[in-house]
Amino acid sequence: MTDAAQFPGAARDVLTFRLGGEVLAVAATQLREVLEPAPVTRVPGAPAFSAGLINVRGAVVPLADLRVPLRMRHTPPGPDARILVLDLPLAGQQAIVGIHADAVHEVTRIGPADLEDIPTVGTRWPPRFVAAIGRWGGHFVTLPDLPAIFADFLSGQSGRSHLPGPTAAGQQDLEIS
Amino acid sequence: MMDAETLAVFRAEAEGLVESLESNLLALKDAPRDRALIDGAFRDLHTLKGTGAMFGRADIASFLHDFETAFDRVRDGSVEVTPDLLSVALAARDHVVALLSAEPAEGADRAGAAILSRLAALMGTPAAPGAAPDAGPWHATFRLPADTAALGGRPELVLEELRRLGARTIRARTGDVPPLDRLDPVCLYLGWEAEIDATATEDDIRGAFLFHEDGLQLSLTPPAAPDATAPPPRGPEPPQHRAPALMRVPAERLDEMMDRVGELVIAEARLNELAARFGDPGLVAVAEDIQRLATAMRDNTMSIRMTPIGAITGRFRRLVHDLSRELGKPLALEVTGEETELDKTVIERLADPLMHLIRNAADHGLEPPAARAAAGKPEEGRITLSARYSGAEVLVALSDDGGGLDRDRIRARAVERGLLAEDADPPDDALWKLIFEPGFSTAPAVTELSGRGVGMDVVRRTIEDLRGTIDVASAPGGGTTVTLRLPLTLAIIDGLLIDVAGERLVIPLAAVDEIVELPDSLADDDSGNAFLDIRSSLVPFLRLRRLLDSEGQPGAHQKVVVVTSGEGRVGLVVDRIIGSNQTVIKQLSPLHSGIKTFSGATILGDGAVALILDVPQLVARGRSDTDCQGEAAA
Amino acid sequence: MSRTVLVADDSPSVRRMIVLTLRGAGYAAIEAENGQEALDVATTHSVDAVITDQNMPRLDGLGFARAFRARPEGRGVPIVFLSTESDPALREQARAAGAIGWMVKPFDQAKLLDVMRRVVG
Repeated sequence: MTDAAQFPGAARDVLTFRLGGEVLAVAATQLREVLEPAPVTRVPGAPAFSAGLINVRGAVVPLADLRVPLRMRHTPPGPDARILVLDLPLAGQQAIVGIHADAVHEVTRIGPADLEDIPTVGTRWPPRFVAAIGRWGGHFVTLPDLPAIFADFLSGQSGRSHLPGPTAAGQQDLEIS
Repeated sequence: MMDAETLAVFRAEAEGLVESLESNLLALKDAPRDRALIDGAFRDLHTLKGTGAMFGRADIASFLHDFETAFDRVRDGSVEVTPDLLSVALAARDHVVALLSAEPAEGADRAGAAILSRLAALMGTPAAPGAAPDAGPWHATFRLPADTAALGGRPELVLEELRRLGARTIRARTGDVPPLDRLDPVCLYLGWEAEIDATATEDDIRGAFLFHEDGLQLSLTPPAAPDATAPPPRGPEPPQHRAPALMRVPAERLDEMMDRVGELVIAEARLNELAARFGDPGLVAVAEDIQRLATAMRDNTMSIRMTPIGAITGRFRRLVHDLSRELGKPLALEVTGEETELDKTVIERLADPLMHLIRNAADHGLEPPAARAAAGKPEEGRITLSARYSGAEVLVALSDDGGGLDRDRIRARAVERGLLAEDADPPDDALWKLIFEPGFSTAPAVTELSGRGVGMDVVRRTIEDLRGTIDVASAPGGGTTVTLRLPLTLAIIDGLLIDVAGERLVIPLAAVDEIVELPDSLADDDSGNAFLDIRSSLVPFLRLRRLLDSEGQPGAHQKVVVVTSGEGRVGLVVDRIIGSNQTVIKQLSPLHSGIKTFSGATILGDGAVALILDVPQLVARGRSDTDCQGEAAA
Repeated sequence: MSRTVLVADDSPSVRRMIVLTLRGAGYAAIEAENGQEALDVATTHSVDAVITDQNMPRLDGLGFARAFRARPEGRGVPIVFLSTESDPALREQARAAGAIGWMVKPFDQAKLLDVMRRVVG
């Protein structure tokens, strides 16, 4: 999905949240619910990006960690940690995924005037993973391009479709240049 | 106007009828006098026409009218089933499919008219069948119950029904109408007499008085029988042997139902845990009742979803029929085990891969007639589709009696595609599996039907998505057999819950052979020994702790769960057996479906997610690991 | 002017099937979950026919038929029972209560439409 498709010119409601010391946002239309931290089942052999599964009202849902593709530092979850449950297109189908958040802020409206150009240099983040950067209450807020991040992960996974084992540990870096 | 859902019901019903019609027509090719098939084809046409009319598709109903008539004449023996008749009937079947597909296409009328004129030519003069028009009419005299109007009955609708059946004259008898001052306005005083065409049956006529039977006065004189006391002739023998009542349900409702049952099973597991914890006898008894009910409900729901594989074989017959013409090869399809049932999801997704395999067999597998004759085989190529149960799996095998796979050509192609090293010489079954690799095709010429190298890899992917496996066997000159091994159901299984390093996993119970203690001599991870001696047979084993990259060290008394798949057995070393449970299988998302160790996940009684181990994959892994060790040792 | 059929059944799925069938054939349909609700609906809407279940909470089919027949708006409106019961005694009671016909479930679309054609046209 392109930036334009995800963030056309109109103002939109987003949920802002904190992760790895940064403020991020997801489109409210993609958000299904916000959950308290739940028991996570480890998936042996899965990369760090999607290392676990959770139960969301009887559905088995993959839990993804945006800190991996966005190269953020990992801090242990605090009392404000939450799981955002999102509807996203995955491999051509709508799917439910969970993502970690260190804390959830609020639903706010971001208009075109609040959006800034994405600098091509100087950011720590792979530019193709960033849909837009905006301002919210004096902070920079990053809108990650979630479909792009997941698509990138899925395309990288095709080479990984064998049995996991000790060797799988070396494949946990998502970065594919 | 039809809303979308009703339209879907109509479509589903019509498609079912079209499919049944097609399979009856194709079967008639080999057995043109088979009474049951003729009746079946007639019934399909009749019902299809009726359904079309009921749902406002007059185009379908009127198109099918002449075909219904034609098969009615076949039924009464005045017309024979010929290849030409079957051919035009199949064309009609295709035309109905075209009519069913959304909006009627441009020129559909003309196509339909052409088919009808072909039929008319075959049937000679398109005269109406049935009783000769000059036979005398039925004569009916009747009075409806006096309270008809009070009950909301509408006498004029009864008269209309009789007209529909062919009533030529209807006269009211007013003799019993009282003078106005004594007339009760809601009481019915009229009687009627009617003459009805002889084409109507007695059942038809009596049926016109539906809901008026109580208190009905009816005297009925049959056609051409001047003596009113003579027994009325029976109409044509009713074709139906009262089949059990059926109800069509949209497939999504079944899926929803299965989801609900799945949730019920999970809730029931939670209840059982709680009951066991509290130990209250009353609560335990209720929990057991609920468990019994949930299990029965699960079985019922699953049985509703089970569909015989015969549901899709009709289209294969048609495919082979068409392929035979297109390729100029005489072909025959033999199907066995059509009654074998699989989950409907599996059946639906199986159709395309099987079509592809059949196409492949017809196009590449079977030699041209001349070559077959030269090899001393009958000219007609034979494709066999067989299905049978094997434990908790179903084996679907597609065989041909063609030339067999060409080892040299497949090998050369595999080397060319970089799938095989220049000097590699794998055993047959390993080599055959390469034909399922993407882009692999050895067809010398790309034909219209296959040989474009797309498809076989899709076949494999579909089967793997269904948690199935593919085996290929082939002998030079002796044909090829592709065997698909499929799980009976995708929805719920009995699972064995195990513990590995504090993490819980599920092994499908149907795959479990036995559970043995891991000998102390093998307890050490580095013991190097890859086999377990179980009653003097050597079974390779996998340490799940290592496979799952678990942390910590195992305690004493590790167990080995011995599982089988196909011909293979492998032992899985686990820390602890927790028990058995009903496992509702949830598919893994695309994020994890690439990890082959697991076939899915489930939700346990306490709400936690547990992964389900993929036994066929683990068995294959156990074999290849021990192969490697064997080679290293040699 | 399409004819309006009141459908009373406590099973939402049966009701849905009946309603879909009727609407597909050009009838208007109103739903009620039980006999009491059917009675309320029938006083506020003009209906051309009623299809009712026998066993329903609050007011069963027989109770509905008797009450409906006793009202002016219920005169001459055909009532057809669609029930799993096939007890002849019950059918007689239904007739005495003012029903014109009795159909036995399972529900068959073709049969239902045939009946409706003969009952309301």
